[in-house]
Amino acid sequence: MSFFEVFKGELKLVVTDVALMLTVIGGVLLYSFLYPQPYVKQSVTNLPVSIVDYDRSEKSRALIYKLRATPQIDIVRYDMSKEDALKAIVADEIKGVIIIPAHFSRDLSLGHSPTVALGVDNSYFLIYGALMEATLKSVMQEAGGAKAAKLLIKQTPMSAVKDQLTPFSLNDISLFNRYGSYIQYVIPAVFVLILQQTLLIGMGILGGGINERMKKGIKGYYIHAKVWQMMLSRYIIFGTLFFIHMLYYFGFSFSFFGVTQLADMASLISFGVLFLTASISLGIVLGALFREREIATPVILFSSLPLVFSAGFVWPIESIPKFVYDIALLFPSTTAIQGFLKLNQLGAPLSALGTNSLILLTQTVIYTILGYYFMKKNQKAYNGKI
Amino acid sequence: MFEDFLWALKEELRQIKSSWYKLGLITIFPLLCFALIIAIFKEGVAHDLPVAVVDYDKSSLSRKVLFDIDASSTIHITQQCNDVISAKRLLQESKVYGVIIIPKNFTKDVYLKKSPKVTALLNTQYILISKIFKAALLETVSGVAGSVEVGWNLAKDEPLYEAIANVAPIKLYTATFFNTYKNYFYFLVSALLPSIWQIFVVIGTIVSFGSLFKAKKEQEFFREGSLIMKTLGKIFPYTMAYFLLGAGYVFYLYGVEPWPFEGSLSVMLFAIFLTTIAYQAVALFLFVTGFDYARALSLGAVYTAPAFAFLGITFPIYSMNAFAIFWRDLLPVSYLVNIQISLANYGASALQQLDNLYHIALFLLFFIPVIWQFKQRLAR
Repeated sequence: MSFFEVFKGELKLVVTDVALMLTVIGGVLLYSFLYPQPYVKQSVTNLPVSIVDYDRSEKSRALIYKLRATPQIDIVRYDMSKEDALKAIVADEIKGVIIIPAHFSRDLSLGHSPTVALGVDNSYFLIYGALMEATLKSVMQEAGGAKAAKLLIKQTPMSAVKDQLTPFSLNDISLFNRYGSYIQYVIPAVFVLILQQTLLIGMGILGGGINERMKKGIKGYYIHAKVWQMMLSRYIIFGTLFFIHMLYYFGFSFSFFGVTQLADMASLISFGVLFLTASISLGIVLGALFREREIATPVILFSSLPLVFSAGFVWPIESIPKFVYDIALLFPSTTAIQGFLKLNQLGAPLSALGTNSLILLTQTVIYTILGYYFMKKNQKAYNGKI
Repeated sequence: MFEDFLWALKEELRQIKSSWYKLGLITIFPLLCFALIIAIFKEGVAHDLPVAVVDYDKSSLSRKVLFDIDASSTIHITQQCNDVISAKRLLQESKVYGVIIIPKNFTKDVYLKKSPKVTALLNTQYILISKIFKAALLETVSGVAGSVEVGWNLAKDEPLYEAIANVAPIKLYTATFFNTYKNYFYFLVSALLPSIWQIFVVIGTIVSFGSLFKAKKEQEFFREGSLIMKTLGKIFPYTMAYFLLGAGYVFYLYGVEPWPFEGSLSVMLFAIFLTTIAYQAVALFLFVTGFDYARALSLGAVYTAPAFAFLGITFPIYSMNAFAIFWRDLLPVSYLVNIQISLANYGASALQQLDNLYHIALFLLFFIPVIWQFKQRLAR
């Protein structure tokens, strides 16, 4: 059987399979739109908050004014007591409450350090941090003013006042994803996983389908084709398709959603090709193992959430149990996510991706050998049956 | 009527017994996924995040600052660099999560009251990790700065309480309601478990009917008796299994782990039961759109896989756009998680859950087109 005939056979199976096409084309397009949706607004703003002002002084109003000016805080109500505010939290009307104590103004002037209280509904992930940051900033500004006023009274020259506020302080500089955008955080990593998962499902449906046909005794090219011919066909078919998908994801989608692209084209493509070959090799293995067409989607789907969270971009690798991380490393996505993030989000050169590339190469070699072995075995089992 | 239900139920149980795959879908696969997610976040707090330092001052004060930073459980100084460029490269290569720079003449400037700055370069690409890192750093640096300042104020013969008060003219007291542990395990796992769970409910239900139609046994299965009863009987083993798995994750979170459940547990269990059936209705609906097993699975994947992102636990719904909120509303698990938070954290009453329960119940309406489509299909 010539290579061209085998290639034609494989291609025909792929394009005539509705479920397969739905996944590798429809799914890829749909996910590229759907996944970024929750994060389109990028950062956490407008959290509903209540103010309980027991002081009602000029100073407390000045603080409220500063709080209102922060992007994170949206003052939606004022309560007379903290009990009322708590009720509003339980009713899910507000996410936090800021309480300014009685005698706030007096204590501040007397140097008695009044305590402003912030209560946050900590049921949600980013809310505490956002409200804490906004409130702390406002309070620090207000406190800075009070401190400066005191120093000025002590005849400290204005120019020196700013420096004397604290012996030394922390100046934190955010590098990469400077504004803490959530879309920049999630999308570059999740898109890599989506590419891998849709590819594996597609190849799993193809392989499982062929196994099913062989089991039923349906004749086809796959009975007499050489295993390497089938494997090469898959590298070409899925390689071409997902190469285009990759350009679409890292090019069009990233631009569309405003995701940073620091990598140069050549580096991105070289690493991307490594990632695709490793993924296709794994796809060949899984395709040979799945006994039915319908097993691929569920099995790959179930692995998705554990794979996202063990890739190290959400939760530090240092805190993930080693055996879980080792299992995750069996999938190309884990190391590829780390590599792509370094390359495209942090602007590291390709040379910094040595380990990641090596892992992908190793996976390619091992999965190619395994894939060859399992496919050969399937063919033999069929021919032995006849 | 009821015999039809029982007959279909027994038939399905037999199927499950003879298929390791179907059995796995209601037992070992979901449990394994639960276990992996729990294992990943089990530690709950991040510790020993690797960090590089560049100390241009090399004084006793700079060493004190760095020592205190290293002593915090969150940060671990792994690299000493001679210049910022090489430190930044480590950051780019993700070998460290941050770089701490102590400027030249740091000690001198402190005593000249020039208020120098300790600079931290944070890799904010990893939002959560950099947040944890920054909080720990801020605490340590202001701690050391505060103790220096108190020393100065004492030297000025200020009484101790005033010396401390002058450091911070306004204090900020923060309290967190609910999840007071500030533990990431609770945040993430309490939302991830239901997100994984709903994937299984949909897939398991599709597999049950998909395999029946794929084997072309549907005519035989629905030959006589009540179509509705047989449908309910066939999905019942899955209803029960997934209800138990749902109850299982609730038991794990609020029974095995130490988190309190303030509200009524029976309301929670009822909500899980309702959500199970709601998802089964949606799953069957996805199946009857084409009666194609593999295609229904693809649709089920698109429907359930992104759910976690839409729950609003990680990224708040207040900051979501209209489409995201619309998609969120199409997922029964959104309402289930609302109920879970409301009951577990706020200790809200059963009455306050009616709105969410009503929304979940609305999904049961999907059974109508399902039964109608079954009838059409079988009539052919």
